[in-house]
Amino acid sequence: MSASPQKVKRFAEVSIAVMLMLGIVTLALAPFTGHYRGFYLSIFLGAIIVVASVVYLPIVRMKKAEDLRGVGVPAIQSLWISTSMGLGYVVTALAPYFNINFSTAVALFVIGWVMLIYGCYALLKISKESKVPLSV
Amino acid sequence: MASQAGKEVKDVYGDYATLTVPPQELRSTLNIFMVYMGVLAVIAAIFAGSGLATMYDLTTTLTVSLIGNALLAIFGALIAYMGGTTRANTYMLLRYPLGRVGAMIGSLVISALPLIMWYAVETWLFGITVNVIYPGHPLTSIAVASAWGGILMMLTAYIGYRAMAILSYITVPFWYALIAIGLFAAVDVAGGFGALWAARPQVIAPLSVGITYVFGLYASGCVIAPDVSRYGVKKWSGSIAWALHVLIFMTFLLFAGAAMTLLTGSPNVVVAIAQLGLGVGALLLAILGQWTTNDNNSWSAALAWINIVGKLKRSQWVAIVGVIGTIIAAVWGGVWGMSLDPFIAFGTFLGYFIPPVGATMVADFYIFSKLVAKRTYVFGPGTKYATINIPGIIAMIAGGVAGWAATVYGVKVPTGVGVADAIIVSFVLYLVLAVGLYKAGLKFEVGEWVERPTGF
Repeated sequence: MSASPQKVKRFAEVSIAVMLMLGIVTLALAPFTGHYRGFYLSIFLGAIIVVASVVYLPIVRMKKAEDLRGVGVPAIQSLWISTSMGLGYVVTALAPYFNINFSTAVALFVIGWVMLIYGCYALLKISKESKVPLSV
Repeated sequence: MASQAGKEVKDVYGDYATLTVPPQELRSTLNIFMVYMGVLAVIAAIFAGSGLATMYDLTTTLTVSLIGNALLAIFGALIAYMGGTTRANTYMLLRYPLGRVGAMIGSLVISALPLIMWYAVETWLFGITVNVIYPGHPLTSIAVASAWGGILMMLTAYIGYRAMAILSYITVPFWYALIAIGLFAAVDVAGGFGALWAARPQVIAPLSVGITYVFGLYASGCVIAPDVSRYGVKKWSGSIAWALHVLIFMTFLLFAGAAMTLLTGSPNVVVAIAQLGLGVGALLLAILGQWTTNDNNSWSAALAWINIVGKLKRSQWVAIVGVIGTIIAAVWGGVWGMSLDPFIAFGTFLGYFIPPVGATMVADFYIFSKLVAKRTYVFGPGTKYATINIPGIIAMIAGGVAGWAATVYGVKVPTGVGVADAIIVSFVLYLVLAVGLYKAGLKFEVGEWVERPTGF
């Protein structure tokens, strides 16, 4: 059974907002990484997440809920980029090159997994409800 | 269902392999751009940058990359526009410059055969890279890793296996970020940007060699650009997306690959990333980029085979292409431990004929059809095509031979630069023959093929 268009739009907005918040958290963690390499990594990946969310959130908000494809396409594009950067934190946070102190590295690693798992779930759900293929 | 010339036609093969794309399936310019970016996200592009680093310093690498990619952007944008205008894929577009049977031959040359070769080569590289990262385990021997890698890549394309599809899908944006991180890490470790710009090989090759090298890397991609651009919401969506992704991101990838090699001294970028300490996960992601490219290889090859044979569905052809490619990689390359050079050589030889096909397409669509014969490209059941377009076949073969002779023997017809000669010869020859025969009132298209209800 399909969810109502309003619920799909709401879910898309909330999902992008969740990614935005997590992106801001990773930016806030940048000064606590303990090494300039970790600092720039957090700034770089965090900034991509924030920009991808800030740009797309108003686009999704402006679409009418009935226009499921119009909602689904930008939502999937935004979540695609954010989820991918979450994967980035998973694979780089604990890498030796970045010299991130252990507690911050673990925090970034966990945030990365949260973004990755939630992002995959949101992508699949929005794709299914809006009938927009993932390869948008 | 798709509407063709006012009739509703069932898409029996899938993915509109023999039909034009209906309006409800069109996608934004950004979407088309993202698909091209997924195709470009392949470790081989970085290795190509490493290849440039053995010939040039970084400034010259950037120069040849920009010039080569600008040429690719123009050539590809022209061909992509044909897909955007007609909503037809490459193999359908070939029905006009080569004829219907000629299009089958052209499809074999540009996609059906070489993409199986490249599927095998990418799968083999996957096996080698996994073996480099995790040596000494039975599952990571080149043969076994190639086998499971090839099967996984095929599954993604065949059944759209969601977990795998989403894995390769979400890899792409970070893949580009990872290459940027690798570049800056190499600069950081090797002593800053001063060291980067000072690094250079002992001998600098002529500019023309590098430009040809860069153009040759992606010339075949230009020719199959309509497979994606036909989905563009605007006629020019595919052209813009193609030009931007090649000019900016391919240049970036070549530059990054060259920089990492010049700074770390390693011609193998995967090894370079490992040396920098970016972690095993980053290495795995680097090879996952190959996944999205092989998806596209098998998908494009399947479209070509459907247009050649007219039997089986797209998903079945994807499986056939994947199985053959995987067997070549795992058995020939892995079990027998033999080099895939013969396959690469065969793929490279066919590659000489790919730019001429593109040049013939451009000459026919933009000049002969538009300005001389005043015909438009039409597709749909009942449409009549010539069986063979003689000037098109001659131009394709002559251009390919000219490119081969220039590259292998240095024959100047007229420039001595392989890809350039292939394009010039086929473009000029097609126009001379087609326009000349048309003006003289002589028949140059042989036979007649009526499109079937399935679009075949």
